[in-house]
Amino acid sequence: MKSVRAKTRGEPLKSFSERVEIQGRSLWSHNAVKGVSLRGERLKKKGRKEWRQWNPRSSKLGAGLLKASNTGLLPEPGATCLYLGSGHGTTISHLHDHVCGAKNNLGGMIIAVDISSRCIREMIRLSKTRPGIIPILADCRKSEHIMPFLPKKVPWLFQDVSQPGQVEMFIEACNHFLAPNGTGLLSLKSASERDTGGAFNHAETSLLAAGFTMVERIDLTGWEDQHVLFHVVW
Amino acid sequence: MGPSVKSLDLNPATHWLSNLSFRTDFEGEGPASIVKLVWDWRFARVYDENERVVDECIWNGNRNPRTLADRLALLMAGRMTTEANTLANRFPEASVSPSTTVASWPQLTPDDSSLLQEASLKLAERGVSASAANPDIRLEHLIRATEEMRAAHNTLESRIVEWAGLFLPSLDLDLNRNQIAAAVASSSNMPEAAQCLKVTSAEVEMGEKEWSGIHSLATSVMNLATDVEKMEESVRELSNNHMPSLSLLLGPLLAAKLCTTARGRSRLASLPASTIQVLGAEKAFFMHIRQGTPPPKHGHIFQHTWVCRSPKWTRGSISRMLAAKAAIAVRVDHFGGIPWTSKEISEVEKKVGEIRARKNKR
Repeated sequence: MKSVRAKTRGEPLKSFSERVEIQGRSLWSHNAVKGVSLRGERLKKKGRKEWRQWNPRSSKLGAGLLKASNTGLLPEPGATCLYLGSGHGTTISHLHDHVCGAKNNLGGMIIAVDISSRCIREMIRLSKTRPGIIPILADCRKSEHIMPFLPKKVPWLFQDVSQPGQVEMFIEACNHFLAPNGTGLLSLKSASERDTGGAFNHAETSLLAAGFTMVERIDLTGWEDQHVLFHVVW
Repeated sequence: MGPSVKSLDLNPATHWLSNLSFRTDFEGEGPASIVKLVWDWRFARVYDENERVVDECIWNGNRNPRTLADRLALLMAGRMTTEANTLANRFPEASVSPSTTVASWPQLTPDDSSLLQEASLKLAERGVSASAANPDIRLEHLIRATEEMRAAHNTLESRIVEWAGLFLPSLDLDLNRNQIAAAVASSSNMPEAAQCLKVTSAEVEMGEKEWSGIHSLATSVMNLATDVEKMEESVRELSNNHMPSLSLLLGPLLAAKLCTTARGRSRLASLPASTIQVLGAEKAFFMHIRQGTPPPKHGHIFQHTWVCRSPKWTRGSISRMLAAKAAIAVRVDHFGGIPWTSKEISEVEKKVGEIRARKNKR
């Protein structure tokens, strides 16, 4: 397979935070659990810090970071984040590196929701070594199932559920859980929608109509085909 | 159960989110009228219209991950906490609001956060182990495993028939297909296997190693055959328990197959009969939708003897009627009706006979 170089428009972003940065061509996060690589990612030592490679092919947030031309994709360290559609926890683990740090010394919290018990059991294992992750086995469409865990609105919300009606779900979730001026990220897979051709444009119009400000529409082609990451502010 | 669990409101109230309503009759009640009742797992509060706290009730039960997990489970089910209930009795005029709508709602303290984390772990673990109790998933694994084993059995059996057949030149391989593996597995060399099948073996020397290879292949074919039967037996048992009426109507294996294709009994119970009729014929069905080919008359339901043993021109009507009855049967099973007995089945069979007779006259 041909290697795809990380293209960034304008000045390449090198460092997203103290814990996430581009080194060379690839994206790395400061490993919160020393010596443990979750899915065989590369680890490297740099001084006293250990870095873990963030594979953009298995994480849409990672791909988005490499392709975005705007900042503000990642939450503030120590923030409370809502992640809908946690999957097997690859992205969550890097997000945890950023938001919580080792033994959650930053005091962050990641609410990880997934409908599949197969995925949640991996999240349970992950959250045992990485405090700060809250796994919830629930349907993302049912906000009343998530609400008991989230007494306050959150400043950062990510949704990655490959199901029809993702945009409506995202708007609904933001209505319930995203704080004013919060960052919302919607990873949209066009193949999941009925109308595959116009899915992205349709999504953009509905997001704007729902009152979001579009920061960037990040095309993930190269890392993840037929995917777009919408970066919006509420 | 801890004391705090007992003190929770266990009455199955309607979900509080569905009761969202705002009062409009604020006149004549003084400057600050009570507007909102808000709660989360920590406490409940009543706010006035200027978002000032009027009254507060704090959870004073035993705080540990287990009690909190119970509490969260009740909240997820849409129940009220005791605190919320107390305040609701004290201020019946307050309307219910989710806590995320109150900007000044307190953040979780670090202690709260770590307690919430442990409790959510407990709750998620409970959820994961509860999914093992779901017969739909188990049935699907059973069905798929049976199908895969049967496929493996068929390929290996045809391999042994052709391989051993080389050494049995005068044997009719098609007629004696089923006996070849058994004969090889029960013998200690090729001439003995030939004797079992009452033919003479070819005058070819076979090495000890080759014989042991052919022998162990035959043994695994025989084992696979018994294993497939065992699996089918357990599919029958699970299917009979999970969907008694449908299993009685269509046979447990076909019922299980329909349930798996529909992705669960609850979904099967919500499907229209016309969809149940073509479940398993998705390819033909979508060809019909897209390209206008003739629509399929039957999917998995074709396997039922009433359909596949009927004359061709009656099958469409019979499968339509049978699918309609299957839709009723699975609803009876899913929504806890009285399971069907042979009485209902014989009525359906009578209708099958009527359709056959009617169609034959023409």
